[in-house]
This record gives sequence, C-alpha cells and structure tokens, in this order.
Amino acid sequence: MKRGDRLVESADELFEHAPCGYLAVTSDGVVTRVNETFLALTGYGQEELVERRRLQELLAPGARIFWETHLAPLLMMQGQVNEIAVEVLRADGSRLPAFMSCVLRPAPDGTPQGIFVVLFPAADRRRYEDELLAARRRERETARTLQRGMLVSELPQPEGFDLHVTYRPAVSGLEVGGDWYDAFWLEPGETLGLVVGDVVGRGVDAAVTMGQLRSAVRAFAWTGLGPSGLLEAMDGYVRRHGAGTMTTLVYAQLDVRRSTLRYAAAGHPPPVLARPGEAPTLLWGGRSLPLDAHPDPGRPRDEAHAELPPGSVVLLYTDGLVERRSVSLDVGLDRLVDGLTRHRGAPPSQLAGDLVRGLHDPEHSDDICLLVASARANAS
Amino acid sequence: MSACARHNVVTHGRLEGRPMVLAHGFGCDQHMWRHVWPAFADTHRIVLFDHMGYGGSDLSAYDPQRYDSLRGYADDVLAILEELDLRDVVFVGHSVSAMIGALAAIEAPDRFGRLVLIGPSPRYIDDDDYVGGFTREDIDGLLASLESNYLGWSGTMAPVIMGNPDRPELGEELTNSFCRTDPEIAARFARTTFLSDNRADLARVTTPALVLQCSQDVIAPDTVGRYVHEHLPESELVQLTATGHCPNLSAPEETVGAMRSYLGL
Repeated sequence: MKRGDRLVESADELFEHAPCGYLAVTSDGVVTRVNETFLALTGYGQEELVERRRLQELLAPGARIFWETHLAPLLMMQGQVNEIAVEVLRADGSRLPAFMSCVLRPAPDGTPQGIFVVLFPAADRRRYEDELLAARRRERETARTLQRGMLVSELPQPEGFDLHVTYRPAVSGLEVGGDWYDAFWLEPGETLGLVVGDVVGRGVDAAVTMGQLRSAVRAFAWTGLGPSGLLEAMDGYVRRHGAGTMTTLVYAQLDVRRSTLRYAAAGHPPPVLARPGEAPTLLWGGRSLPLDAHPDPGRPRDEAHAELPPGSVVLLYTDGLVERRSVSLDVGLDRLVDGLTRHRGAPPSQLAGDLVRGLHDPEHSDDICLLVASARANAS
Repeated sequence: MSACARHNVVTHGRLEGRPMVLAHGFGCDQHMWRHVWPAFADTHRIVLFDHMGYGGSDLSAYDPQRYDSLRGYADDVLAILEELDLRDVVFVGHSVSAMIGALAAIEAPDRFGRLVLIGPSPRYIDDDDYVGGFTREDIDGLLASLESNYLGWSGTMAPVIMGNPDRPELGEELTNSFCRTDPEIAARFARTTFLSDNRADLARVTTPALVLQCSQDVIAPDTVGRYVHEHLPESELVQLTATGHCPNLSAPEETVGAMRSYLGL
C-alpha cells in the first residue's frame, strides 16, 4: 500500500467525521465544540452553536425536563450516563430521534470541567423500540383483562360466614402472574367450593392456562369429587392437556351448616386457621405435590379436615403473600401467623388489607391473592 | 409501619439543634443533598427522607390515589414531622418539593419556622398570561422519555462516583438507589408534579420563605421564581449564579452560602 492511500487519521479528522454527533459542553451545558457530523445531522452552523447554545436547548422539551431532573443529577453523581433515548431539535424545528451518552470530564482538582456528549441517530431503532413498548403494553393489558375476566367479581355470601378476597397484581412487574381464586356453591346454601391456585409463568400464557384450570376445577367440583379426588382428577387433566404442570392449588369444601372445612393442597402454601381462644396454626394436613409433579401418576392424594367453631378465621393465599427475597419461606409463614394473631379481630376485608400491607415485599414482585373465610362469632 | 420507616428517614447532626428537613425533587432521592446537609450538621438536626416511590421508600405503601395530588406528598411530610415531633422546622424543598413544603406549611404552620424553596414553580404549564415554561404536549414528551428510558437504566449505569474512586461500595449504593424508581410510579409523579396548579396556595403560606432562583433554569425560569416571590406573603428572593435546576448538586457552596445568610448563621 502506498503511503498516500492511507486515511488521514489525525485526532481532528477522527473527531470531525466520527460516525456520530459529538459535542463538548461546559458543565452548564454551553457548547464549546461540535463536530461536522452533528452539524450535518441537525442543519445547524458551527457559529450558531459554539458559545451560544446550551445542550439542554438542543433537546426537545420532554427530553429537556428529563435532562434537568434525571440526567444532569445522575451525571453529577455518577460521572456518566449511557444510552439515553432523546429527541434532538434540528435547526428547522424537526426532531431527530437519537441515543445519547455523556461523560463528565473533571478538572485536575476533581470539580466538573465539562461534558463530552455523543449522539447516535436512531430513528429506526427508536421506532422499533416504541413498537416493542406498545406491544408490551398491549400484552400486559390483554393478560390483565383475561385475568380479571376470569376472577369472580362477587363472592357468594353464605349465612354465618364472611368471605373476602384481596387480589393484588404485581405492582411493579411488567407482566401479570398466574394467581387465581374462585368461590362457588356446590350445594346452594350448604357447601361452598373455595379455590386458590398459582400457575407457573407470567403474562398471557399464564392467564390462559389459569383460565383452563379454573374451568376444569369448577367442572370436576360439580361432579361431587372431594378435595383429594378433585386434585387427582386435575392431575389427569394437566397431564392429558399439557397445560399447567407444576401448578399449585388448594381446594377446600366449606360445609356452611356444620361449619367444617375439607381441604387438600397440591404443593401450595398451607392454609392458616385461627380458632377462638387458640393461637393461629398452619394447616399442614392434606398435602401433596403440585399438579402432575409426581413420577407415579396414579398416586392418591391426601386431604384433611378442620372444625370451624364460631369466630374462626381461615386464610387461603398464594406464595406472593409470604415469599420475600431475603428470607426463607418459614420466616414468611411465621410473619403471616403473627399478623393473623394481631389482626384476627378485624372484619375480613380489613384483616386482608392489614395482612397484605404488613407482609408485602416491594422487592418481590409477584401477584398476591388472599382469601379470608371467617365464621361469624354469633352464628347460630 | 412508621412514617420514618416508610420514607427511609435518615438523621444527622445535632439532636438538640433546630430541625432542618431536606426534601428532594422529582426524579432523584435524598442523595441529592449530600453536598448540602453537612454544612448544617454542627448547628442543626438534619432530617433526610425519600418521597414515596423513590430511593429507599417502602413501595408497598404506595397508593395511586393519595399521590395523584401534591397534598398526598405534603401529608407524608407532616407525618414525618409529627412522628419526630419537630417544630420550628427549616424546610428545604428542591423543585416540586418546594410546593410540597408550602402545602405542608399551610396545613400545619406551627411546625414550620422557615422555608427554603430551591427552584420552586407553582405551575409548570403556560396558562393565559402566566408563563410556566411548558405546554401539555411537553409533559407528554417527558412521560415518553420516562417510558423509553426505563429499561436502559439499571444495568448500564456505571457505579462511578465523582470524587470517590476509592469507595466503590458508595457507587453501588447510589446506583442501586438514586435511579431506582418504579416506571409507573415515576410517570404518576411526573403527572402530579407537572400538571399541578398551586398558584392560589402561595398567598396562604404564612411561614417566611427564601426563594433560591438559579440562572438559566429551564424547569423553573426566572419569571416563575419572581412570581413565587411576589405571591408569597413573606419571602426573600436570591438569584444564584449557578445555572440549571439542581444547584444543590452543581453549586453546593453557593446554595449553602445563600441558606446560611438567610438563616443568620
């Protein structure tokens, strides 16, 4: 190769014709240098910008507020900000979607001296991201709509009992989970079916699976199966239809007249029972593995029962209520029992609210479902 | 749970000193004050906190309805003051927290001694003759900025702290909290902040106030600072040479100096 064929790789050349807009600004944002690429992208002349305009003024108003409230403080605090989506105002007033990265250049004494800014035009990529964001919003809304549509809005209100459910979709999560609850009469006025379940996964898939399982539980429940029989039937359903493997589920039959509860839990956190004059206890009876989790498919499942004298409170719930990132499940369960000890005298709706508020872990973004059944103290 | 726990209240300084409560604005958390509060630690009881949804606040206490109005945030401030039983408070509010402090002072004037309002604005959106600096569309642009920039944040923020290269653990702490905001909560706070109109409340503030106005502040321009000064029953206006909207970070010495002379220190 001849010497003359080489690109001139001077620092100026690298700066002026870098494949991105490149600015140096003071810590106040006043432009001190700007490269050719930026001028070509935006249509400004060198003399319009240098010592005359501030970086903030070159950003569209939304991005300008974002700069002042988020980016400038972050830059000051952390020395750099990267890959920020902004819109740059061109000389003709049109907007240039771009990605921006900035680094703070300190003076020798450590005080901020200036900011180096690069801007990559990104119209297509930003459009693509906007589409992704919109799609994600749609999916989340669809999943929420599905989920909400499948949860009964009004619980049956049996004589002598108060039923209440608190359902709280993950606050900060971007997708809904697969928790569900259900309550329906098996024999009107006599026996009530209560269900709390948790499908593995999130989003639309989980919501659809949840809908299938909810219908299956209802259908099996009305055939007269008891709690263990119903879970066995659900094993078969899940295996045959390939949907909902590892779902956890607690199914209970509340005999309103006799005030008794038959229940079975498939891999689900244990119900909690507080009887008057007794400390609340976890109901560890009637337990077996999650749906379709056992290597021996035909294996019978356990069930148990409990008396519910007037004044008793039973909690069915999903793991979102008791799981915390930093502590073991046992600690979460203890906290639930403690919470019930403290709040058990409250009416069910207030009790549920108190428990969810007291136990919820903001770091653990999961749905929370809590169903409270309490036998009125004055029941005949 | 106590208000102090919900809001990650951190106290410094002289326990028996005059209380100074510093409230951060939209977008950040109490670390905004790290160059300011030490200057008052010898004379004051310093109280720092995070607004609900920011920093180390307890998200489980977030209630969308409560925080649809700045009054919800003002009630939080009062809950902290009541819990610590603070009186004669010097309340230092940056940005939107200036108005939050003003609302709290209207509600419980007996707890407040002085207000220091840094870059206050009672209304951000233009309205007839009033120039707030923004239009409704601008605020939608901000909401879009918040949405499109959420994902990139947590991972790409390098834990580099200016002036603390030898304390990487501080960087960790700051990257994990300073930027930590639930995107939905950030969008709601943005709406509450930038769509509020508290102009009529200014006349009801009986607590004496210092208005600190930055130069070339695009969030709260000079005209807005003057408007606040003119409509408060008792206030002083100090024009800072510092530019931008965050003099507490960019020009802490000048900010501290103005506060000290106002407080007669």
